[in-house]
Amino acid sequence: MLQLLRSLSKNRRLLQDFVVRDLRSRYIGSSMGFFWSVIFPIINLFVYMFVFRLVLNTRWSDYQGATMVALIMLAGIVVWSAFAESMSRTTNTLVDNANLIQKVVFPSEILPVYIVVSSLINMLIALPVVLLAVAYFIYVDPETNPDQLARAAAAGDPGLRIGVTLIALPLLALLQAIFTTGLGMFFSTLNLFWRDTYHLMGVAITVWMFSTPIFYPAHMVERPGFGWILDLNPMHWLIDSYRHIIISNQWPDPAMLTRFALASAASIIVGSTFFFRQRRRFPDLL
Amino acid sequence: MYESKTSSAAAEHGGGSAIVARGLGKAYSLYDKPVHRLYDLMFPWKKRGREFWAVRDVYLDIARGATVGIIGENGAGKSSLLKVLTGITYPTAGEVNVNGRIASLLELGAGFHPEFSGRENIRLNCSILGMSDDEIAQRFEEIVEFSELGEFIDRPVKTYSSGMHVRLGFSVATSVDPDILVIDEALAVGDEHFKGKCVNRLNEFQERGKTILFVSHDMGAIKSMCQHVILMHEGRVLEQGTAEEVADEYLKRAHARGNERLSAINRTVDAYPRWGSGEIRTGEVELFGANNRKTNVFNPGEPFLARIHFTATAECKEPVFGVGLYRSDGTYVNGSNHFWRRDPIKLGRVFDGESGYVEMAFEGLPLLQGQYYLTAFLYDHGKPAPTPIDHREHAVTFEVLDANHLQHGILFLPTRWSVHRRNHSGGLDVVTSNE
Repeated sequence: MLQLLRSLSKNRRLLQDFVVRDLRSRYIGSSMGFFWSVIFPIINLFVYMFVFRLVLNTRWSDYQGATMVALIMLAGIVVWSAFAESMSRTTNTLVDNANLIQKVVFPSEILPVYIVVSSLINMLIALPVVLLAVAYFIYVDPETNPDQLARAAAAGDPGLRIGVTLIALPLLALLQAIFTTGLGMFFSTLNLFWRDTYHLMGVAITVWMFSTPIFYPAHMVERPGFGWILDLNPMHWLIDSYRHIIISNQWPDPAMLTRFALASAASIIVGSTFFFRQRRRFPDLL
Repeated sequence: MYESKTSSAAAEHGGGSAIVARGLGKAYSLYDKPVHRLYDLMFPWKKRGREFWAVRDVYLDIARGATVGIIGENGAGKSSLLKVLTGITYPTAGEVNVNGRIASLLELGAGFHPEFSGRENIRLNCSILGMSDDEIAQRFEEIVEFSELGEFIDRPVKTYSSGMHVRLGFSVATSVDPDILVIDEALAVGDEHFKGKCVNRLNEFQERGKTILFVSHDMGAIKSMCQHVILMHEGRVLEQGTAEEVADEYLKRAHARGNERLSAINRTVDAYPRWGSGEIRTGEVELFGANNRKTNVFNPGEPFLARIHFTATAECKEPVFGVGLYRSDGTYVNGSNHFWRRDPIKLGRVFDGESGYVEMAFEGLPLLQGQYYLTAFLYDHGKPAPTPIDHREHAVTFEVLDANHLQHGILFLPTRWSVHRRNHSGGLDVVTSNE
């Protein structure tokens, strides 16, 4: 892990170049450019809203209205997309950049890291949009139905709020970066030994997404006795923490945050150790 | 501390060594199934792969400022050796010591992004090659200028031709200003003009005392640039020494290999057109070189003899054998027969069942490097106009290898040169060269 930090500080200029290249190449030649970072999650939101609310008729709770649910989902989608994109891209990143590894003396640890950083930046572009939407429904178009308000108050739900807890966002983003980088380093290395990793990753991400409470509330799994799934799922802890901050200006649950921090530490230690142990062999494995 | 130590060591040994390799070896594991690699990772105590030594037992001491060529057939381990020397891969055995900054042109333009313009790619590629911001800013314009891309420099790299791609890659790679430059057949592409510029740049490097290490199949380039040549075969250094010494050994091997390859080609010559009335059929066409050795590979200036076997299956009045000599691109170099001569051979009547052979020979093959083929003609000159009995295109293919590269083109001409310089007293000083 120290090796990773040393290399990143030594090659920060190169990392920066790669991140910029990646961000620019996402939308180069497209007329909407960076708007896609914003449009994608919103389109996703409509699709999932349609499926879960209209078709499957999932009820979030008695007291949360449609706008509230939409915002909660949107926050989850934005965070999840950044993670999912990083995972699917980092897994193949060493293979994709084979010519750099085989033909140039190149610090290959840049390769998983730049993807994580780039998707995180992309996420940080989309998050303010979610915050703007939250602000809109607080100040411009607040919930006025007295029944709804009464039910929410009875359930102890604070409703939509924006405030000082936003200062905790960088911490979450940092932890997310560490967690994702660790996994990315692990699976990109594993993929060199076993190329099926890349294909399995696609499936794994889908399974993981639906076992994380993004489109349904956590208590719907807890009640039938599947709570242990949530106890094993770091992404649940992360998304829950984000939602606390973004939706209702609450500090994240310390238990969840601690657990996620530990998971991140484990991830980066295992991932970077495996990566650096095998790094000498990368050119031969490609 | 370390710096001063190396420099004093270098001082003791004159110029010092740029690269020292001791007992260098590189093995790759080959697996029958890809998944065995994963098993090896998980259960390291039982190895499933087969070891393949791409490079082994290599000892090198390359002096600072030397230009060293590496030659050898495909798969001899040249590229693997370069990769180990440049530090791209790690050796399985032995060790390498490199003194100075090393830049490799193993692949020109590795890491170019097709969507970005030439300018943006220069920046990124410089950064990949380890240049600092200041260095990039300093050399940027020089790189742009050297690449001669004109307005294309601002267009996406995906619109470039392969030649332009290589030009840009070469410009960037050689601007790194390394102490040691490693080139893997990088000069094989590009037009003559750019090739000339590349050679100039390499000469500049040499003059500035940089070390150059390069792999090439072009013996001419190797001879003109390298003081020291390394011949590799099956991963080992077979011979190293001056260009002349090693080139001869290389050509000897190239002859053997060329013979093998050409006899494979010659076995398929029946695929070429053949026509005629067929009273007499020509058989095998054999070629002989110096000392009457049967071969398909020649050196310029070597004796040449073509022997055409024939068998007659019907009576024939006045057959004439001839040979056409063509370069592989179809250029007609020469044609002759035994009848149209000052001193013609007249065969008269050839009877059913007769057989024998015809020979065409000359001293000193005047052809230069390239692939050539012979077409065998057999025409009936007993008729008012010669008619084909057996006309065989591409009867045999042969190759001329030229180690010396003294002349270029198709033909070696026994030229004489002289230079006449006017001196102070108004007379002429003449220097002549007869060979």
